[in-house]
Amino acid sequence: MDAALIPKGVKRCPIWIFLAGLAPVVLVLLWGVYAMLLCWLKGLNQTNMNNAYGFALWIWADLAIIALGGGAFFSGFLKYIVGKDELKNIINFAVLIGFICYSSALLILAIDIGQPLRGWFIFWHANVHSMLTEVAFCLTCYFFVLCIEYLPLVLENRQLDRVPFFHNLSHNMHEIMAIFAATGAFLSFFHQGSLGGVAGVLFGRPFGFREHILIWPFTFFLFTWSAAAYGPCFTILITKITESITGKKLVKDNVIWLLAKISGWMMLTYAVAKSIDTIYWATVTAPGKGLALSHFYTNNALYGYWILILEVVICGWLPALLLVFGKTRENRKILWLAVILAVIGVSLNRWVMVLQVLAVPVMPFIKWILYYPSWQEVATTLLPVAYGIILVALSYRYMPVFPQEAELNPIEPSLGEVEPSQLETGAAANVPEGTLEPVRA
Amino acid sequence: MKKEKVHKFGMFIDLDKCTGCGSCMVACMAENNVPFREDETDKLLSVAWLRVYQLNNGKSFPDSDICFLPRPCQHCEGHHGHSPCVSVCPATATDYDNHTGIVSQIYTRCFGCRYCMAACPYHVRLFNWYDPVWPDGMEKSLNPDISVRMRGVVEKCSFCYHRYQRAKDLAYYQKRTEIAEGEYQTACTQACPADAIVFGDLNNPEHRVHQLAQPDNSNGGKPRAKDVFRLLERLGTNPKVYYHSSREWVRRLGDNFQDETQEI
Amino acid sequence: MKIDRRSFLSFVVGGAAGTALSPLPWKLTDNISIWTQMWPWTPVPERGAVTTVASTCTLCPGGCGIRVRKVGDRVVKIEGCEGHPINDGKLCNLGLSGAQLLYGPRRVAGPMKKVDGRFRRVSWEDALAEISAKLGDLREAGHAHRVACIADSDRGTLPEMLSRFLTVYGSPQFFRMPSMLDAYEITLNLTQGVQATPGFDIDNADYVLSFGSGVLDGWGSPLHLFQAHSRMLDRGARLVQIEPRLSSSAAKSQRWIAVNPGTEGVLALGMAHLILKGSLYHSDFAERYAEGFATFKRQVLDGFSPEIVSSVTGVEAAVIQQLAGEFAGARRPLAICGRGKGTVPGSLKESLAVHALNALVGAIGREGGVWAIPEPEYIDWPEPEMDALAVAGMQQGRIDQAGSGKYPHARYLLHRLPEVVVAGGDPSIQVLFVSEANPCHSMPDSRAFSDAVKKIPMVVSFSSFWDETAHLADFVLPNPIYLERFGDVAVTSGFHRPFIGLTRPVVKPLHDTLPTGDVVIRLAQALGGSVAAAFPWKSHAACLKESLADKWDALVEQGYWMDEKFGPRQWTAGFETASGRFEFANAAIDFLTSFSPLKAEGDEAAFPLVLIPVEGMRLWSGYIASPQYVVKAVDDTVLKGNDLLVEVNPETARAAGLKEGSGALLETPRARARVRVHLYAGIMPGLVGMPKGLGHSAFEPNLAGKGVNYNEMVAAVEDPDTGLNAAWGIRAKLTKA
Ligand SMILES: Nc1nc2c(c(=O)[nH]1)N[C@H]1C(S)=C(S)[C@@H](COP(=O)(O)OP(=O)(O)OC[C@H]3O[C@@H](n4cnc5c(=O)[nH]c(N)nc54)[C@H](O)[C@@H]3O)O[C@H]1N2
Ligand SMILES: Nc1nc2c(c(=O)[nH]1)N[C@H]1C(S)=C(S)[C@@H](COP(=O)(O)OP(=O)(O)OC[C@H]3O[C@@H](n4cnc5c(=O)[nH]c(N)nc54)[C@H](O)[C@@H]3O)O[C@H]1N2
Ligand code: SF4
Ligand code: SF4
Ligand code: SF4
Ligand code: SF4
Ligand code: SF4
Ligand SMILES: [Mo]
Repeated sequence: MDAALIPKGVKRCPIWIFLAGLAPVVLVLLWGVYAMLLCWLKGLNQTNMNNAYGFALWIWADLAIIALGGGAFFSGFLKYIVGKDELKNIINFAVLIGFICYSSALLILAIDIGQPLRGWFIFWHANVHSMLTEVAFCLTCYFFVLCIEYLPLVLENRQLDRVPFFHNLSHNMHEIMAIFAATGAFLSFFHQGSLGGVAGVLFGRPFGFREHILIWPFTFFLFTWSAAAYGPCFTILITKITESITGKKLVKDNVIWLLAKISGWMMLTYAVAKSIDTIYWATVTAPGKGLALSHFYTNNALYGYWILILEVVICGWLPALLLVFGKTRENRKILWLAVILAVIGVSLNRWVMVLQVLAVPVMPFIKWILYYPSWQEVATTLLPVAYGIILVALSYRYMPVFPQEAELNPIEPSLGEVEPSQLETGAAANVPEGTLEPVRA
Repeated sequence: MKKEKVHKFGMFIDLDKCTGCGSCMVACMAENNVPFREDETDKLLSVAWLRVYQLNNGKSFPDSDICFLPRPCQHCEGHHGHSPCVSVCPATATDYDNHTGIVSQIYTRCFGCRYCMAACPYHVRLFNWYDPVWPDGMEKSLNPDISVRMRGVVEKCSFCYHRYQRAKDLAYYQKRTEIAEGEYQTACTQACPADAIVFGDLNNPEHRVHQLAQPDNSNGGKPRAKDVFRLLERLGTNPKVYYHSSREWVRRLGDNFQDETQEI
Repeated sequence: MKIDRRSFLSFVVGGAAGTALSPLPWKLTDNISIWTQMWPWTPVPERGAVTTVASTCTLCPGGCGIRVRKVGDRVVKIEGCEGHPINDGKLCNLGLSGAQLLYGPRRVAGPMKKVDGRFRRVSWEDALAEISAKLGDLREAGHAHRVACIADSDRGTLPEMLSRFLTVYGSPQFFRMPSMLDAYEITLNLTQGVQATPGFDIDNADYVLSFGSGVLDGWGSPLHLFQAHSRMLDRGARLVQIEPRLSSSAAKSQRWIAVNPGTEGVLALGMAHLILKGSLYHSDFAERYAEGFATFKRQVLDGFSPEIVSSVTGVEAAVIQQLAGEFAGARRPLAICGRGKGTVPGSLKESLAVHALNALVGAIGREGGVWAIPEPEYIDWPEPEMDALAVAGMQQGRIDQAGSGKYPHARYLLHRLPEVVVAGGDPSIQVLFVSEANPCHSMPDSRAFSDAVKKIPMVVSFSSFWDETAHLADFVLPNPIYLERFGDVAVTSGFHRPFIGLTRPVVKPLHDTLPTGDVVIRLAQALGGSVAAAFPWKSHAACLKESLADKWDALVEQGYWMDEKFGPRQWTAGFETASGRFEFANAAIDFLTSFSPLKAEGDEAAFPLVLIPVEGMRLWSGYIASPQYVVKAVDDTVLKGNDLLVEVNPETARAAGLKEGSGALLETPRARARVRVHLYAGIMPGLVGMPKGLGHSAFEPNLAGKGVNYNEMVAAVEDPDTGLNAAWGIRAKLTKA
């Protein structure tokens, strides 16, 4: 039915299986859209946010997906700037994940603000001192960059590619992609950093506040670093999940290992930096504001020291070490474990830097304020997840996301199954290794 | 145009006098067109610019003691007007006025990102989670000096800025450049039946607030008067609301101390 | 026309560029920003000329002066009147919410008549015709004495018009809402021989000893006390608060003495014992200006040793000694009583004990002491001419037996109404008028009271608001509120000088209201004869102006009139008693021989705890219920959703297995209620504190259904000496639910 749209040289499941598989995801998406509309029409009273929790679940989701989407800029940086050419085999997918993460982040912000129709005030009346201004500008610019990076991939769809204009456009865009990748990387360094700055500049909130280097708090650098370190793990994780679902090997191990190794070293250095930051904060910054470390981890039902250990040790040091050493890295199961821990680690970091910051009482006569999300918040937060799955599925089905797929999964054409298009262009399986795009005319 | 004096409006609240009667809260609501809903018992959703907290000394009967602490916006100056909330607002919807020391809030500029709320350690900033609705006829009591806020924006105590404007207008009309101490008083100060609140210009040695708080302007406004403190002094927010209490346990609750032995 | 790809693309790109360059998107963006700032359903306050009107707040008995700020013809803010002797520019949360009462949904829109259980608008003519016909019929049938009236006060032109109406009509059944004034008046009468209300010269006292009076919780003239207290702090005077719970007053006092509930009077006598024993008393006063001192001294020395007093009150003997020393040693000591806001009359013995304590230190009629404030003399109307029916009716005597037989001292015993209203099958009261009061919510055992009211064939409420009593009435004839009419407030709430406040129309009446005084006049005219003759005025306003003739100008000009020169009668001028002296003891005041503190109702075994009321400035429990802003400001430790939180000591809660916020079932011999628990270390173990002023069934939607009415949980406990209600609490049981 949709055969004409499917990339050459690869096999896809029948459309009805595809649609049936997507159906539950679409339901979740619709649920999320309903919740989103409620929030827009009835207002944010639909959430369980309150005057103590101005930021909550979906701001965490926002920060987390931006960190996880960091795989895009960092892989781009590695490929185009550093010159790790092997990464071309996963860069498409990294870009796709980045696109999903950043478009979701923008959507969430549009739902989160109390006056969405005035959202553009952030640009029009920008306050250059605000981390959020920096976030908004860089995020938006980077989103455009991601669009530009994602567009050629879309244009490579077999039918679109037939249009000479699109064909040429996408070809030319590839030529200049390095410039965009560089711009993207630059913007990303900033907005990841600004997101870290969001909590780090709050000198009224000793849990989030960090000392500054120039105009930026430590968290500025930690966030950039952690996004660069952990983002690729998420790319690997999603690749692995896609491989499991499709039952195919899509990216060669050496590519994955390379990315994992770089990620591992980044995580290790991050773990060192984060540990130093934590110790400095616990022994100098917070006490300077009158607070002992125990203040942040006791007297409440949720936040104990466990969260610190889980974040920094179990989901920080451990996966870093697992990925640094070739032996553990190249073990399939350990690789899985390491990337999962890493993804949890960075998400947990974003959680504490959003929610724990607000939960900790600052005035001595008030208590901890805990919060749980309303269903509308959960649904709205799942909305981008569903949207992401759908976009990955569509992209995978109709676009040459994984350049190595055809090589790794050669099709033995049995005549009955051969599609006319395949016959026209000959054996797609013979695409030479290392070519990013299918052979062009 | 004549050069105006630089004011630093501030407040002195005597916790020995405050009885927790709530006049200040209601005066503020009535003055500033604060909306109300059927159920206001979830204080985390309730819009009240001034909140009176009840502090206790943690002891058991009959050694127990309580104290009331009214908390308007502290109009933090931070360092050079770098208030916790002002510096973070991405849309410049809240501002530090160096001529008055007042932290303003421009409702029509605010787009409701709530970053300022996260920044304020005093829980001063409030979001309009709901549409403000006045039962039929009750909108008649609204004060035209203050615009009614819409859903989805943040609001907070303004030190009754419109009263300052009113006083300035009158002074201008009478061809005066300065306003007298009594001409600009906030609604809560005016109402407080215990005379617990004193408002005025901290820069003006003739104003009571200056005399009572004795701010050390060369030292971030730290109070020099005995038993006077500011909330969360160590955070460096540099607030302009000074509190007085003769009870040490109350003063201790004004800031964080790592342990009991740390000097107040 | 064939659209090829190229032209299509050019069209799209060109169109986009064209639109972007056109004013359209910018205009739309601009419109969006404007629209989001002015949602059509957000009210826009109208501008207009700003004016202020000086008037008086009548929302509680305090008598504060107000300045109403108007914009055009709208009331936008009510503020305190600067320079006013009572509140000098300050205002309480209730006074500040006046505009909400004026414009709010609680108002009665016009005269209402209940038909088949539902209220219908009727015309004033029809309503008054029907009521006067009923009154006429009753009177003709010799049942004049079966018409009753409940008013907030018995002072001021409106209450006096109401009682005058009853008198010339032939009914002695005028009731004033109960308060501490009841017991204080008797005390002043017995010891000093005057019919007067007490005034407290707090501003000149340097040591104020409060036996449970909520000095900073709404007792007396609340704002006057607030200001006086702050001035006390400034001049180094001390407040000592005696009560079982750390109230705001206790917290702000220089010393809080936690006393067993209900034993405050015993503590006063324990102090008297030590003052007498140590000869610390004012000997000049005791010896030259007092009568019965020797008897009093002997009885106090015999019966109130520190050991006994300590065991009863739970206050250590050493502390009693200290208090006695401080009190007697102070230059201007003053003791006051009347628990909480003073809404319960209290026991006469207690009141006498505290008054005696004042007398011991010479604080009677002295600077900084307690003064007897005479009845206002401006209402000096000619005695009405009584026809035979009136005389016959008046001879029937009071239905509550106040002032006779068992209750010689009491003037009004409203709590007895449920007991006496139905003597036989035919209710002993046929018509009940209710003015500026909401007894169906604020009388103890309010359910029984409401049931009694329901039995009365014709109930006429003059309430401006749809309160509980109005809901039970057969007619509601709304009075304009204080911002819409002329009225006088004769301040009786402990202010130390004769004082009259004037209310005046700040705005035109919003609704189809008629001043209650005018209703009285019209009813009298309809009845004709001597009844009509007793009301020669055209309207209440005319009556007011005439009565206040010499004070009118001052009233209009500054909003109040005060007898500046008033001072208490000098001791040397003698007291108005039979002996001409202050009477510590006499035949009527043999209170010490049988002194034992009144117990709370209920069986100790079945009800191991004691429920006491919590009164404060944050909730209002009188005729005026808390308006929206006041309800909004109520703490979440008092109300959570619709649940009321009762205060319990953590120790008591632990014993009952209750935690902060747990649901519980509170039972008293009178009622049971679901509540939640708030742990408060400031309340004595064994007590349950319940905030007063909630549990309304009226006042949708901001107040109705929220919490529990304390008055439903309790009942009156009659003081054996006066018959007045002296209940300070009731036994209770709290179980996990
Ligand atoms: N409660 C409340 N808050 C509000 C508003 C409200 O309606 N109600 N409105 C909001 C709005 S729309 C606005 S624009 C802001 C306004 O808020 P601000 O900008 O704070 O306005 P002003 O205090 O009127 O003016 C600022 C200062 O500028 C000084 N000034 C006057 N002329 C000059 C000059 O020539 N040079 C210099 N350097 N200084 C000068 C004045 O003395 C004054 O101290 O307030 C916002 N905040
Ligand atoms: N004396 C004096 N005059 C000044 C200034 C000053 O400092 N002093 N400041 C100047 C400045 S900076 C400004 S921005 C202006 C502001 O001047 P205005 O715009 O006149 O004042 P605002 O108080 O912002 O609100 C205007 C009116 O809009 C109403 N309003 C609120 N919501 C809505 C809505 O949804 N729909 C409609 N239709 N109306 C609504 C408000 O209730 C109010 O009556 O004043 C200027 N004039
Ligand atoms: S009005 Fe005054 S006394 Fe009452 S709570 Fe406010 S500050 Fe305290
Ligand atoms: S108290 Fe809060 S809102 Fe007010 S100036 Fe300080 S940080 Fe800003
Ligand atoms: S909520 Fe409004 S005032 Fe606060 S930071 Fe955001 S835009 Fe600024
Ligand atoms: S200063 Fe004005 S705005 Fe601030 S709390 Fe007081 S009354 Fe409210
Ligand atoms: S104390 Fe009483 S009289 Fe005074 S403002 Fe409050 S309600 Fe009115
Ligand atoms: Mo403005």
